[in-house]
Amino acid sequence: MSETVAIRGSAVAAPRRRGEGLTATTLIGPATVFVAVSLFAPLSILLRYSLNDFDKATKTMIAAVTPANYIRFFTDAYYTSALATTIEVALLSTIVCLVLGFPLAYVVARTQSRFKNLLIMAIVLPLFVGNAVRAAGWMVIFGNKGFVNAGLMGLGVIEKPLEIMFTEKAVIIGIIAVTLPFMVLSLQSVIEGIDRAVEEAAFSLGAPPLTMFRRVLWPLALPGVLAGTILTFILAMNAYATPYLLGGPLFKMMAPLVYNTFTQQSNWPFGGAIAFILMAVTLTLTVAANLLIQRRTKR
Amino acid sequence: MARLDIDTLTKRYGDFHAVRDVSLQVADGEFLVLLGPSGCGKTTTLRMVAGFIEPTGGSVRLGGRDVTILPPWKRNAGMVFQSYALFPHLTVAQNVAFGLEMRKLGKTEIGKRVEEALALVRLSGFGGRLPRQLSGGQQQRVALARALAIRPDVLLLDEPLSNLDAKLRQEVRVEIRELQQKLGLTTVMVTHDQEEALTMADRLVVMSEGAVRQIGTQRDLYERPADRFVADFVGRSTFFEGMVEAPGRFRTDGGLALACSGGAQGRGSLALRPERVGIAQTPWIGLDNSLPGTVEFVSYLGALIDIHVRLSPRDRLIVHVANREDGFAPEVGQAVHVGWPASAGQIFNE
Repeated sequence: MSETVAIRGSAVAAPRRRGEGLTATTLIGPATVFVAVSLFAPLSILLRYSLNDFDKATKTMIAAVTPANYIRFFTDAYYTSALATTIEVALLSTIVCLVLGFPLAYVVARTQSRFKNLLIMAIVLPLFVGNAVRAAGWMVIFGNKGFVNAGLMGLGVIEKPLEIMFTEKAVIIGIIAVTLPFMVLSLQSVIEGIDRAVEEAAFSLGAPPLTMFRRVLWPLALPGVLAGTILTFILAMNAYATPYLLGGPLFKMMAPLVYNTFTQQSNWPFGGAIAFILMAVTLTLTVAANLLIQRRTKR
Repeated sequence: MARLDIDTLTKRYGDFHAVRDVSLQVADGEFLVLLGPSGCGKTTTLRMVAGFIEPTGGSVRLGGRDVTILPPWKRNAGMVFQSYALFPHLTVAQNVAFGLEMRKLGKTEIGKRVEEALALVRLSGFGGRLPRQLSGGQQQRVALARALAIRPDVLLLDEPLSNLDAKLRQEVRVEIRELQQKLGLTTVMVTHDQEEALTMADRLVVMSEGAVRQIGTQRDLYERPADRFVADFVGRSTFFEGMVEAPGRFRTDGGLALACSGGAQGRGSLALRPERVGIAQTPWIGLDNSLPGTVEFVSYLGALIDIHVRLSPRDRLIVHVANREDGFAPEVGQAVHVGWPASAGQIFNE
C-alpha cells in the first residue's frame, strides 16, 4: 500500500519539478540579460578603448594595442597619489562606518520597541536625498562662514574658522553619511539572527561584555561585517559627487578623475585605463580583506 | 555547590509586578522547581538569580555571598537555556571550555575538565563536532556539560526540556535528576510542565501572577494544596461551586448535598481528585457520599480511563478508573453511582 503511494508520488513529482525549473529560468532570465548587456558590454568596449592610443592635438582615439595608458598612470605621481588618497579615504570611511554602525545596528536588532520600523526608516532616511543635494547641504554647514564655524565662533569656542570644507575630513564625513545606512542594515539583519541567549550564556559562563563581544558576538556577526564593509568600501572607492563637491578642486579621488578624463580631456583610452585600475584595485582589496578576516576567525 | 537564599525578591515594570515578594531557600544539593503557567514570574525570578534582570527590591544570596547587584559574569551560576544557546561557531569541546578559559585555567586543566564534563553527559568523543552536527538531545547535554564544567555554585535550568520530543524528555528528566543527585548540585529549574516538575524536584514552588502560591513536596502540593489555584494547577480536580451550609455539609449550586470535612461556613468550592472517586453500577454503601449520575464522556488514556459523570444540570464530576482487566468501564449514557469519603474532598472558601 505504502509502495503504491510512493510510486504515484514520484510520478506526479517529476513533471512538476521540470515545470519549476522552467519557471526559475523565466524568473532569473530578464535580470541576467539586463546585467550582461548593461554591464559587460560597456566594460568590454571600455577595456578595448583603454588599449588604444590617443592623439592629443586632434583629441582623437587611434586604434592600437598598447599598455601605454596603464604605464602612464603608474609612472605619474599625480595619478598614483590620487589612487592612494582614494584608498585611504575608502579605508578610513569603512572603519569609521563600522565603528559607528555596529552599536547602532545592535540596538536596532535587539530593540523590542514597536517603533522599530520607524527607527529603520530613520536610518535609511539619508538615502532619500540625492548625493549632490546632500553634499550641497554639507557645503553650507562646513564652509568658513558656514553653520558650524559661525556657531562655534559666535559662542566664542574658537577664534579662527575650523578648516573642514575642502579637506579629507569633509569628504570622509560626506561618504559616511551615504554608506552608514548600508553598513547598519547589513549588520542589523545578521545580528537579529543571533540568539540573544547566546550572549547571556557567555555572560553566565564568566565573560564580561567586551570578552563576550570578542569571542561570541563579533565572530557570529562576521557575515554582516563582511557584507557591510564590502558595500561601504566599494561605495567609498567609487564616490563621485561627495569628493567633487566637498573635496574641492585640489582634492583628487579616482571617480572624479575618470569623469574629467572622459569629459574635459575627451581622452577615452586613458579614462578607460583609470576606470579599470580603480575597478581592479577595489576588487583586489575587497577580496584580500575578506580572505584575511575569514582566515583570522577560523584560527 | 552552595545554598541559595532569595529574600522578598521583587521586579516591577512600571505598575506591573512581574515578581512580587518572592522568598525561597534552596538547601545545598537541593533540586527546587518553579512551576506555574506562562507569565507567572517564574522565569523572571530565575533570571534575577542568574543576574540577567536587576531586581526592583529584595536580595539574592548565593552561598552566603550577596549577589543581588552582581553582574552575571561574577556570579558563578551555571545556566542551561531553553534554546540551549550553544555557541554555533565553536566545537563542542570549545563550548564546554569557554567558561574555564574565562576562569583563566591552564590548558591541561581545561582539557581534563572538558573531558570530565563530556563524560558526565555521555558525550565523550563528540568534542570535535559543531553544535549543528548534533541532535537536539545531544545539544541539550552539551549545554548541561558547559554549565557543569565551571563547577557552578548553583545550576539554573530554564525550561531545559521543552524543545525535546516527548519520549526523549522522559529519559532526559531521569538523567538530569540522577546527575544532580550524584554531584549534589544545588539546582533551580523553571517549567510549566507539572509532570516534569513532579518527576525531578525535591521541592516545588507553585507561582502565579508573580507571587508564590505554595512551596512544598510533591505530596504536599497534591494532597494539601494551599488554595484553589494550586489544586487546579497541580494534578486534576473537579470543583463543585456552592457553599458550606453547616459543618460537614456542602450544598452545590446545582442543589446536591455533599458530606465534606473542614472549611468555614459560607461560599466556596469543593475540590475532588478524580482518582479518589469510586464509580459502580450500584449505590455505594459505607461511603459518606453516594450519588447517582449519567456518564457523559469517556476518554481512554491507556493506563487509566477518564470518565465525566453528570450529577445535576450544573454539576459534572471527573472520575479516573485504573484500566484493569476486571475493572468497571461504563459507556456513554449509562446510569452509574459515584462515591467518595468526606475526607477525599477539600474546601476552598472564597
